[in-house]
Amino acid sequence: MQSSWPEKKNARAGHSVAEALPRHGRRWLLLLCLFALSVIMVGPIVWTISTSLRTPAASFSLPPKWLPTDMALENYAEVFARIPFWRQIFNSFFVTLSTVFGQLCTAALAGYAFARLDFPGKTLLFWLVMATLMIPLQATIIPVFVLISRIGLSDSLAALIVPALFTAFGTFLLRQYFMQAPKEFEEVALIDGANQWYIFSRVYLPLTAPGLAVLAVLAFNGTWNEFYRPLVFLITDANFTIPLGLNTLKGYMMTGSISVVLAGVSLSLIPVILVYLFGQRYLIEGIMVGGLKG
Amino acid sequence: MQTAVTARKRTSLAGWLTEPTLAGMRRRKALLGYLFVLPTILGILVFTAGPVLVSFGLSLYKWNVFRPPTFVGLENYSRLVSDTRVLVSFANSARFVILAIGLQIVFSLLLALALRQRMATWMRYYFRTTFLLPFLLSGAATGVVLSYLLHQEFGVVNYYLGLLGIPRIPWLTSSDVVLYTVVLAYLWQFVGFSLITMLGGLSNISSEVLDAAEVDGASGWSWLWQIVLPMLSPTLLFSAVIGVIGGLQIFDQPYVMTRGGPGDASRTAVMTLYEAAFKNQEIGYASSIAVILFVVILAITAFQFAMSKRWVFYQ
Amino acid sequence: MQNQGFNRRQFLQMAGVGSAAVMLAACVPAQPAAAPAMEGAAPAKEVVVLRVQGDPANETPLLEPFRQVHPGIDLEFIAVTGIDHEEIASKILSMIAAGEQIDFGYSATEALQLYAGQGLAYALDELIQRDEAEVSEYFADVHPSLIEAMMYEGSVYELPFDFNAANMYYNTQLFAEAGVDHPADNWSKDDFLEVARKIAKKDESGQTTVFGYAWTNRLWGSWMPWIFVNGGNLFTEEKAPGGEWLWSTFYADDAAAAGRGGGYRWVTPTANSPAVVEALDLVVTLTSEGTAPAIEMGGGQTLQGFFADNKLAMTPAGGFWAGGLANAGFPNGSFDVQLFPSWKNQRHQFGTGGQWIAAQSQHKEEAWTYSKFRISQEGMKLWYGANGIITTPSRRSMLVAEAFAETGPAHWQVFYDTLDKHPDTAPIPAPPISNPMTTLFTSYTGRAMTGELSPQQAMDELQKELEDLVARSQDIMYPQG
Repeated sequence: MQSSWPEKKNARAGHSVAEALPRHGRRWLLLLCLFALSVIMVGPIVWTISTSLRTPAASFSLPPKWLPTDMALENYAEVFARIPFWRQIFNSFFVTLSTVFGQLCTAALAGYAFARLDFPGKTLLFWLVMATLMIPLQATIIPVFVLISRIGLSDSLAALIVPALFTAFGTFLLRQYFMQAPKEFEEVALIDGANQWYIFSRVYLPLTAPGLAVLAVLAFNGTWNEFYRPLVFLITDANFTIPLGLNTLKGYMMTGSISVVLAGVSLSLIPVILVYLFGQRYLIEGIMVGGLKG
Repeated sequence: MQTAVTARKRTSLAGWLTEPTLAGMRRRKALLGYLFVLPTILGILVFTAGPVLVSFGLSLYKWNVFRPPTFVGLENYSRLVSDTRVLVSFANSARFVILAIGLQIVFSLLLALALRQRMATWMRYYFRTTFLLPFLLSGAATGVVLSYLLHQEFGVVNYYLGLLGIPRIPWLTSSDVVLYTVVLAYLWQFVGFSLITMLGGLSNISSEVLDAAEVDGASGWSWLWQIVLPMLSPTLLFSAVIGVIGGLQIFDQPYVMTRGGPGDASRTAVMTLYEAAFKNQEIGYASSIAVILFVVILAITAFQFAMSKRWVFYQ
Repeated sequence: MQNQGFNRRQFLQMAGVGSAAVMLAACVPAQPAAAPAMEGAAPAKEVVVLRVQGDPANETPLLEPFRQVHPGIDLEFIAVTGIDHEEIASKILSMIAAGEQIDFGYSATEALQLYAGQGLAYALDELIQRDEAEVSEYFADVHPSLIEAMMYEGSVYELPFDFNAANMYYNTQLFAEAGVDHPADNWSKDDFLEVARKIAKKDESGQTTVFGYAWTNRLWGSWMPWIFVNGGNLFTEEKAPGGEWLWSTFYADDAAAAGRGGGYRWVTPTANSPAVVEALDLVVTLTSEGTAPAIEMGGGQTLQGFFADNKLAMTPAGGFWAGGLANAGFPNGSFDVQLFPSWKNQRHQFGTGGQWIAAQSQHKEEAWTYSKFRISQEGMKLWYGANGIITTPSRRSMLVAEAFAETGPAHWQVFYDTLDKHPDTAPIPAPPISNPMTTLFTSYTGRAMTGELSPQQAMDELQKELEDLVARSQDIMYPQG
């Protein structure tokens, strides 16, 4: 880790104290600003968790209380009572992991082809992929919904997974990583008698691990939090993913308790945060190594 | 030429492909290329390109879901150009994207430069993690939470601003303010991701180059303009392209927070699209909005790439 | 390549056009699939599975008792969730467009005329007439206003299961602190203003700390109640012909049924009529003087919190709010309810909901059997007993003291008095174009509330847009003549 963070070398020796002091002061000011900003970034999340542990009637008192006061765990119990929480968590994991795995496969293949293989029509196909990156989801959802129903996937987790297995963004992203890998490796492998598949799977794919990590984390995050497609595609609550479950918590005629909704939000945060904590090293190193470029 | 002649002599496809020559290898690579892109191209054709062509087709029809579509030619488009609500929503989207993406790039660059400064490893880790944290939440969830925090009268944000002597800001209830609120909410959620991208870009520039120029007394501004920005330009282009594409499509968070209101002050193009299709059952009209939106995104992206030749430097 | 006559670009164009054509064909609504179980000699004891749009969590308590009586019918739930009824309706329409089978569903007044007018819903007239003996007890228990709101062009499409009238909720603690008693049934707009202004408090910097009144920007129960009590509406109200069979069969002795017809027709927009503009002016004034806060879009959950935290004295809401406040941990006795105040008159408004049967359903008889069970004494007791009073039951007999003993409010009788004591109480305007109408209404409401437009300007522009909308939507509006 340390090496990827270029430390600024100590300023030239012989700096006078007078010069050093304001520089020192600036640094403290900077840290202070960064710290204030980090409080702003985390504040709403802390508020969500602490409010999920209160009754709604106690949620709006000012000045705001940042620590949980009532420990109203019944809000969490209510989440489990109102929606099949474990089932929906399972659905979310199933959809997310399948999608992530599928995207890694298809995007790695296509990204490699666009970066390192030559074939007639490559540029045209690449721009086709890039163009679909610009299509808003709302523009395609009705035809896709019709298609999904016709092939009998309506109200199934497959309805979410199958169309999401192919990713223009992931292909574009991984292409950037494959392009940065040195050409010389291929020549060396060829001399050793390796075939093209071997060169892809054993030489270049491992080199692109950081890029795969970036795509995996982004795809996990995007799929886990996806709301719009599940809202349209899924029908029965046993098939819901967790963001839809949270929507159910708002209740008939919006009579659900806000604290219960926030308890659901807090619960649904846990998996993403865990994935992030495990994945963040790879994510950050991946981005560091690859450098996302246009 | 020699190889080409031999190639023609061979009759079996397998032989043609496995020929141990450079040309044979090119063919093998080309075939592999097609095989590798096949799943993605097929998937995209079926689930994105095909449906968008259907949308093109539907935009020429009047279709309310219940009855068979009737062909109306360009009527939807002529209605669109005189529909002030749609035009306002496109203008809002433009203002939102310019502000949000511009600020996102500036802020994340400044933060990335700040995080390069000397500090303890745990601090760097702490800042990076906290800045990225909101990115992990769903837009629908953050929308609910932020609308509570930003309530004009009883929201936590105005309470603290009040302690500083700042009068209550009508974050979500004033037409003049609401779009900026949506921009701020976007920045809160997405600046962390952009920051990581910038850090990646910076780490690709050799630290000797950055530091040497800095220590050699180049002023802060010229250091930034003449060293950092040119070297970071590919990353900036990536952020701008992805940001504009994503920003023009953002829906969940602003929809939950404002529903496009008050009035039409925060109604974006995708919101009008959603309302036309799913609330008003005007599928044809919605499709024409979708088509225009697609063309706009395409034009901006092409423009960005075209302009990039002037300011983006690849090492 | 030249002489091949069919180059790659042309091929791609062809492929593109071809796939678009295929997809377009796929988009045309499918014919309902033939019921597969009907082929050949189906076993006599086959269980019919109905596909029902509803919240399974809420319906569960009814299922076991229903299955015991009707072992041949089972239900599969399609939980359509959404932030509001428009979102729910839009999803149902998407499902129908995609050729999904639904046997029956639940809808509010807002969607009824759209479903009925487009032939999606099945008219219940024949079933009701056939089962007259069985359902007459239900009609005797339900106010004719509610039934009339569920009619379209002379036919009944839903039997009301619940309704919510816009009543005035108030915070008893804030009322007590200000020395205000429970308002009289016929309190006036001026009484209301006096109370609201008396309770609203400002701190030394001029910022409001307690609001007298607040509402949410939507169609039902927003500032619409002020339009009604001021004698206005967004559209002219006409009555469709027909329906005599219903009134003479079930409401022959009921004075409240006099003059009722075959359902409402909301025909001509009247958004810039003086009564509407005056009502808007009233709520704009309340906000600009600080008695009411700036108005937010949405479902009103924020208001619930502020009401519960003693920061808000009064807000319009229906019976569902009692359940909502109880869910929010707001104790019984800390809030109460009264009729909306009078202005030029005291005409109240409501929305109602019930089950509609899909015209395409192969199992209308079974769907009707469940619908009847759901609105029966037993069905309603089971439903409300398990779910609590999260909405107002359509049956008068369900509104009894013990139903509100735990949650309150003390004056729960107000809910049904809105109908019984005010037979002119009417549904919110819900023409077949109610979804786009609502978008326009909330949009211009927002522009007036922020001061962007004066009330008159806002309503003039709303009027113009509504007129355009009506002109554009003749194919889904009422039959001519």
